[in-house]
Amino acid sequence: MNKRGSYYRYLNRFGWLCITPAIVFFLIFMAYPILSSLYYMTRKWKGASNTFVGLGNFVRMSGDSFFWQAVGHNFIYMAIQIPLMILLALLLAVILNQGIKRLRGAFRTVFFLPCVTSLVAYSVLFRILFQTNGLLNNLLINSHILSEPIAYLANPFWANVTIILALTWRWTGYNMVFFLVGLQNIDTEIYEAAEVDGASKARQFFRITMPLLLPVILFSAVTSTSGTMQLFDEPNILTTMGGPANATMTASLYIYRQAFVTNSDFGYATALSYVVVLISGIFAYIQIRFLGNRGEK
Amino acid sequence: MKKGFKIALALLVVAAFVCIGVTSCSNKPKPSKVTIWCWDPNFNGYSMKAAEAVYVKTHPEVTFDIVDIPNDQIEPKIEAALQANGAGLPDIALVQDFSIEKFLQNYPKAFADLKAAGIDYSKFAPYKVGPMTVGKSIYGIPFDTGSTGLWLRADYIKKAGLKPEDYQKPMTWAQVIKLGEIVKAKTGKPLFAYESDSFDTLRIMVQSSGGQFFNDKGELDINSDAVKKSLVILKELNDKGLLFMAEGWSNWVNALNNDQSAGFLDAIWMVGTVKSKPENKGKWMVVPTPLLEGVPGAANASNNGGSSWFVFDKAANKKVAIDFLKSVWASDSPDSLAFYNDILKACGAMGTFLPSQSQPNYTAQDDFFYGNQAVFKDFSSWMAKVPTLKYTANYNSMRTAVYNATLLFFQGKYKTVDETLAAASKEYKQTTGQ
Repeated sequence: MNKRGSYYRYLNRFGWLCITPAIVFFLIFMAYPILSSLYYMTRKWKGASNTFVGLGNFVRMSGDSFFWQAVGHNFIYMAIQIPLMILLALLLAVILNQGIKRLRGAFRTVFFLPCVTSLVAYSVLFRILFQTNGLLNNLLINSHILSEPIAYLANPFWANVTIILALTWRWTGYNMVFFLVGLQNIDTEIYEAAEVDGASKARQFFRITMPLLLPVILFSAVTSTSGTMQLFDEPNILTTMGGPANATMTASLYIYRQAFVTNSDFGYATALSYVVVLISGIFAYIQIRFLGNRGEK
Repeated sequence: MKKGFKIALALLVVAAFVCIGVTSCSNKPKPSKVTIWCWDPNFNGYSMKAAEAVYVKTHPEVTFDIVDIPNDQIEPKIEAALQANGAGLPDIALVQDFSIEKFLQNYPKAFADLKAAGIDYSKFAPYKVGPMTVGKSIYGIPFDTGSTGLWLRADYIKKAGLKPEDYQKPMTWAQVIKLGEIVKAKTGKPLFAYESDSFDTLRIMVQSSGGQFFNDKGELDINSDAVKKSLVILKELNDKGLLFMAEGWSNWVNALNNDQSAGFLDAIWMVGTVKSKPENKGKWMVVPTPLLEGVPGAANASNNGGSSWFVFDKAANKKVAIDFLKSVWASDSPDSLAFYNDILKACGAMGTFLPSQSQPNYTAQDDFFYGNQAVFKDFSSWMAKVPTLKYTANYNSMRTAVYNATLLFFQGKYKTVDETLAAASKEYKQTTGQ
């Protein structure tokens, strides 16, 4: 092909023309904010005015135990909620795939629906459920399981439990759908061979299903981790600004609080966001190395 | 000739239309729409609508868009809009008094100088004008007072075998606690509905004693007798079961309106909320804020909240907005005074516009309350004794830090008051970076 031909030049120009809108959008909405955040990060902000502090925001961050506590809460949610949710999603996927033949579509829809609801709406709903004179307490008291209502949202331990429950309710169905798809790709002959060899259903689940689904589990884990690192709506609305007394404060919510609620310090908030991004990146890298390689063996 | 005639005729027609257009423009005022942001449609929204009704009588071309934005969202929204150089801002916004110093300090050019626009501030209560003054400029229109009282359910006091009349006097906290214990023992109702994630009760107590949270330089100083004694009393109330814990505003309102508690400690602007349950007619009475003993400068009066209206300097309809505020909210015309009179009776909005304080509703008896108590007269007289509280720009950070520590103190994580205050100071220092 003549590389200098006019048709080739036309294709070349046309190609550039096609991707130009995408490049423009990228520059305006991704590159520019990231570059300007580098500018914000080195300044101390107070509303309409700001002063240069260099790395001062990072020095301040190292002494800010409330931020690290918030990050710690993110870690707790990751460590508890994600394995719980993935296990549950796997179980549901296996049951739907092998156990339930009729109404499979209906069950799938019912489990998937929570993840398309509005984050704010479902947080409000869970808040109403868990408040001291809410549905859950009324049910438990009427059936004599409890004698006094538990103040879930005023108790640091129970507040975390409600957040984990809410997250699990919302995202299990979403991950379950991915696992269902992955299960379709597993040859039924493997299971038949296992049956012949005398493996129990549980053994099959742990020794066949899970290893073969490892790529999908990895995908779920990575996306859930980065999502949990950015957790914002549930602690903001369900437990009101990371309450009680910062027990459910998360990194993103703390950043919002610094920028909009108490301080107007956008420089410090930007510096904090960089740390959150860094942590998310490290987690993604670890997971891909750890789970990704094993899947390839 | 014909062509010339046609051109001349066309020009004449155009000129005629232009003349008509110009004259009609100068005769009819341009329609404008004033956008107002405020929370609580039963109180602030209602008051604004009443003011709108007064203004459109003489200015029918102005329409109003009163947008209801919840209390905890309005400040982040205003802040975000100010950061975006004013995009999306309304013409008028309601701002809580304790936040205004923060806005004026952080965004000095954001608000319109209303003193320069001709508002006479000598007609407003001085303690409201203070926070909105910066140098020679004054920026807002003071709205409601947050004069507080102890609201009690007379029917529960009667049920406990006591006479409500015995309690219609200034009391100390010790006396109130005793009353609460009897009521709890005989009726099972805690005396106070307590919003567990709110700072208000503690602040009311500290302010009533003349205490402060900041020193004169604006630095945090919470290790005072006033704060410590208030915390001790609050803990005692909690330990004796006299607080009904409710998370969040709507839960708290539910608790006090639906008989889950026998009273609460809060400001005059709760009248609208309390009246929204007509079944409770004749059951509520209001007595002076309890006195914090042992602190010099303490009074049986305090303030909670209260807000003011602010006009944004870059607002699209700034002139109309200022004219509206001036002619309805800051004028002593009969229509304006009648407006202040009306909103007092209808939703308990007691303005701080001094000429309106002699209007009939301010001194009238209110048949919703036990014994037809003239509640507004009482609140108005307590308002005169309220000690001033210094807010500073860091009020929100201090508030969060102190109520987080207070909650943990209640739950037993901190054993002593000193430990609690130390934890609050730590959170304040670390989250504000000071």
